[in-house]
Amino acid sequence: MGRFIIIGERIHCISPVIREAMNTMNPEPILKRAKEQLDAGATYIDVNIGPAEGNGPELMSWVVKLLQENFNNVPLALDTANKAAIEAGIAVYNRENGKPIVNSADAGDRLSYLDLAAANDAICIALCSKGAVPGSLDEIMGFCQELLEHGMMLGMDPTDMWFDPLFLVAKGMQDKQQQILDAIKGFSDMGLNSTGGLSNVSNGMPKELRPIMDSAMLAMSMANGLTSAIVNPCDRRLIETMKSCDILKDNYMYADSYLDL
Amino acid sequence: MALTGIQIFKLTPKKNCKECGSPTCMAFSMKVAQGAVGIDKCPYMSDEALAQLSEATAPPMKTITIGAGEEEHKLGGETVLFRHEKTLVSKNLYAVTLTAADDADAKLAAVAKVDYDRIGERMYVELINVKYTGEGADAYAALVQKAMGANRTLVLECADADAAKAALAVCKDGKPILNGANPDNYEAMNAIATEAGVTLGVTADTLDALYDTVAALEKAGNKNLVLDVGTVSIKDAFSKAVLLRRAALKDQDRTCGYPSIVNIGELAAGDPQLQAALASVFTLKYGSILVMEDMSYAQALALYGLRQNIYTDPQKPMKVEPGIYPINGADENSVCVTTVDFALTYFVVSGELERSGVPCNLLISDAGGMSVLTAWAAGKLSAGTIAKFIEEHQIEEKIKNRTLIIPGKVAVLKGELEAKLPAWNIVVGTTEAVQIVKFMKDYK
Amino acid sequence: MPFKLTPQPFKAAIKEVEVGSGEKAIKLGGEKTFPFYTFDAPMPNAPKIGVEISDLGFEGESAGIKDFYGDVTNIVEMAKKAAAMEGADFVVLRLEGADPNGANKSVDECAELAKAVADAIDVPLAVMGCKNDEKDSEVFVKVSEVLSGRNIMVLSAKEADYKTVGASAGLAYGQKVGAESAVDINLAKQLNVLMTQLGVKPENMIMNVGSAAAGYGYEYVASTLDRVKAAALAQNDNMLQMPIVTPISTETSTVKEAVASEEDMPEWGSQETRAIDMEVVTAAACLASGSNAVILRHPESVATVSKLIKELM
Repeated sequence: MGRFIIIGERIHCISPVIREAMNTMNPEPILKRAKEQLDAGATYIDVNIGPAEGNGPELMSWVVKLLQENFNNVPLALDTANKAAIEAGIAVYNRENGKPIVNSADAGDRLSYLDLAAANDAICIALCSKGAVPGSLDEIMGFCQELLEHGMMLGMDPTDMWFDPLFLVAKGMQDKQQQILDAIKGFSDMGLNSTGGLSNVSNGMPKELRPIMDSAMLAMSMANGLTSAIVNPCDRRLIETMKSCDILKDNYMYADSYLDL
Repeated sequence: MALTGIQIFKLTPKKNCKECGSPTCMAFSMKVAQGAVGIDKCPYMSDEALAQLSEATAPPMKTITIGAGEEEHKLGGETVLFRHEKTLVSKNLYAVTLTAADDADAKLAAVAKVDYDRIGERMYVELINVKYTGEGADAYAALVQKAMGANRTLVLECADADAAKAALAVCKDGKPILNGANPDNYEAMNAIATEAGVTLGVTADTLDALYDTVAALEKAGNKNLVLDVGTVSIKDAFSKAVLLRRAALKDQDRTCGYPSIVNIGELAAGDPQLQAALASVFTLKYGSILVMEDMSYAQALALYGLRQNIYTDPQKPMKVEPGIYPINGADENSVCVTTVDFALTYFVVSGELERSGVPCNLLISDAGGMSVLTAWAAGKLSAGTIAKFIEEHQIEEKIKNRTLIIPGKVAVLKGELEAKLPAWNIVVGTTEAVQIVKFMKDYK
Repeated sequence: MPFKLTPQPFKAAIKEVEVGSGEKAIKLGGEKTFPFYTFDAPMPNAPKIGVEISDLGFEGESAGIKDFYGDVTNIVEMAKKAAAMEGADFVVLRLEGADPNGANKSVDECAELAKAVADAIDVPLAVMGCKNDEKDSEVFVKVSEVLSGRNIMVLSAKEADYKTVGASAGLAYGQKVGAESAVDINLAKQLNVLMTQLGVKPENMIMNVGSAAAGYGYEYVASTLDRVKAAALAQNDNMLQMPIVTPISTETSTVKEAVASEEDMPEWGSQETRAIDMEVVTAAACLASGSNAVILRHPESVATVSKLIKELM
């Protein structure tokens, strides 16, 4: 197995700094956040430009070029509801360090994002949901099957679909957490890759509790076979947990300095 | 190994016809993977797909048994490409080639000469490769008859149907390998091998042709095969050996899942050192039977040592037998030295003691095959175990000298040993083997 | 249905390290495959052979080795002959004489010899020590200094002295530094990390991950080599992607198979042939598991291993 993949989530239009930078096409704040995330241990950088209905293609291709030129063709996840923008981003994307990720398809309205990924030889995050929170493990696995089938009929390699079990907030949905872990195990048993917005688990908790809760969820998820997560790599506790789990899963060779690598 | 739903889905017609009762081929495949429905519910599976599915549960590499009685050997059955992943199961075997041009008696006598024990394993040339060189069926059968006298399992390197028949009439009970099928003659050779109930060796110049021939033989019902990687070139033989094993174990292509034969003697004819080098490479990279022109003691010492290491079960340390090992012509008056029975420790320590030139009796007690400190920590090397060893092996009756040198790493045992063995002078030796030579010389 | 040949090169590569300079400079590593898997992708650089000579001459060596060097007694002349040996890619000067428990040659004397040897040969030079860590680090520092910029290989820095050796050879004087560990893959990686943190660039580092003679715990060597290459290539572990140089003759020349006399072991036959076979078999095994260079002593071993490499490339 390869090492766990961290997709850094901090270039997101929901952040006022980033939104402003995107509006004015100001590189500095974007480069700064990308660097912080890469230094902290991110493999992929997620680029969320929001709906970007006006200048989506232009904005996305600008960010893709900006990040790849400055960071040795860093691999990126292209995250927007604007499909034309994703295509424009892929058009200028350099694959040297990994295929682009389309973020994301689901089993409902966004099924056609798989078509977009297939047509562009991209990886696609496949959210096992049809809009609502899945009610049971069977439901998640059913969506997984639908997505998988759709992608494979389009000729996609099954490992290019990264299944997202939909991480749910623990505060209020404690009873759903085991079903998420079981879904990850289900993906893993089929030899599939997986990912998701893992820190959702600690949403609404006091700030000081979030790192330990996220870390615990990460460790349990990795034990069940999770292969990637979309998280904030600047959370040191989380990254140290990830690195330790990679050693325990024999994904990476141990050395005394493993936390520094 | 069971197939996943995705692997099964890839084999389905992907028509979503619903005739199986499932809404889609994917849903059907998932149910098949869980064992909920049988694959036969799908009316459109191709024969090839069905065959692949039934094969999927078979081991990726077959275990082939050759020889009879004491000389029975197993080949293949591997499940991993590297020894650190899991124990390798069937060590490679060595064969020496005999042809009509050889002085058969001399050659067989030379083969018989290399036959010794190394850490509990018999090291010898297990197979004789009797090569047909156009001398005629009767003469070949006579040569095979002669080879049988060596009491080894035979490989008949023979692509001539008449000669093969004549040879098998003589030796088939010994379960030899008939190594002679190729793309041109495989039907005839298959009939002969099947009739005689022996393993068939298959070869071809290209991997494609080899693959097709094996597939045809499998279709004819013969899965008792070994694959000869041929003598096109060293590079080609290496490629074939690696690609076949990788395709079998990593890519689950069972047509490739047979043991291999590598005729090193032909690949490097007349160059015994290059043959040794190649045998080393093919020991690591997927040769099952290594055929040599000859096997000298010099080659054997290095190659069998290597093979023993590579095919060691990582879970089971190699142990030497407890006992007295006299070194440098030691006698009953020579000093005693003790260490553990872990083979590596024994080899290193005995090697250094030999280099010192000082006669000494190396006493090896049963320490569970552990290294000195591990054995001490586990209670397998203590004053008690050493004293017990000295008593049980009647050391005091066999050796008059009363000095015992113990490993420096267990210097802590000195006091207790002196209490348990009052007649002995206990001396603390070195902590590292590299210091032994100097220590022994100084001690003397 | 023909055989489905799917080349399986890795995305990651072993780092390419250049040693020496000029026409006969050598490149180690660079491959994206397991050793000699040329059906996956070409191996850009064939594995190399270093010929080991000792600063103490060839006392105790076999007749074949003595014959090869003839009546040469001067180490510099020996080095020239070693450099010209068929199949030799570089010369390894083993500074055994530095051993404080042996000839105890001074650091300056060792450095002077290394310089004289380097000046006399046209192939790259590697230096090995006397296995006394303290003395070795002093010797390596001085040798690196007097051969500043000559791009020699210093074998090796260990856990105990990597700071001194790494800083001088790898940083100050522009040499290639070997990081030595004894069949401990975690330490092998850790040493590379530590040297990198010291500032030594990966392209100036090589590894000696340990060796043993065939039959003498060689399984640990095989598995260490296999695992290092798997981590480097399949996991893209850049702290294990340095090329591997494995000393062979220092291990095989001391085992019983090589040292037992014909009088003691008449059935074993020629002692010299046994020594050669041990050397050849061990070297071939290391190459098959991923050593990018091996260090040998006997001319016949060098010729055979060189032929093996050519055949497999």
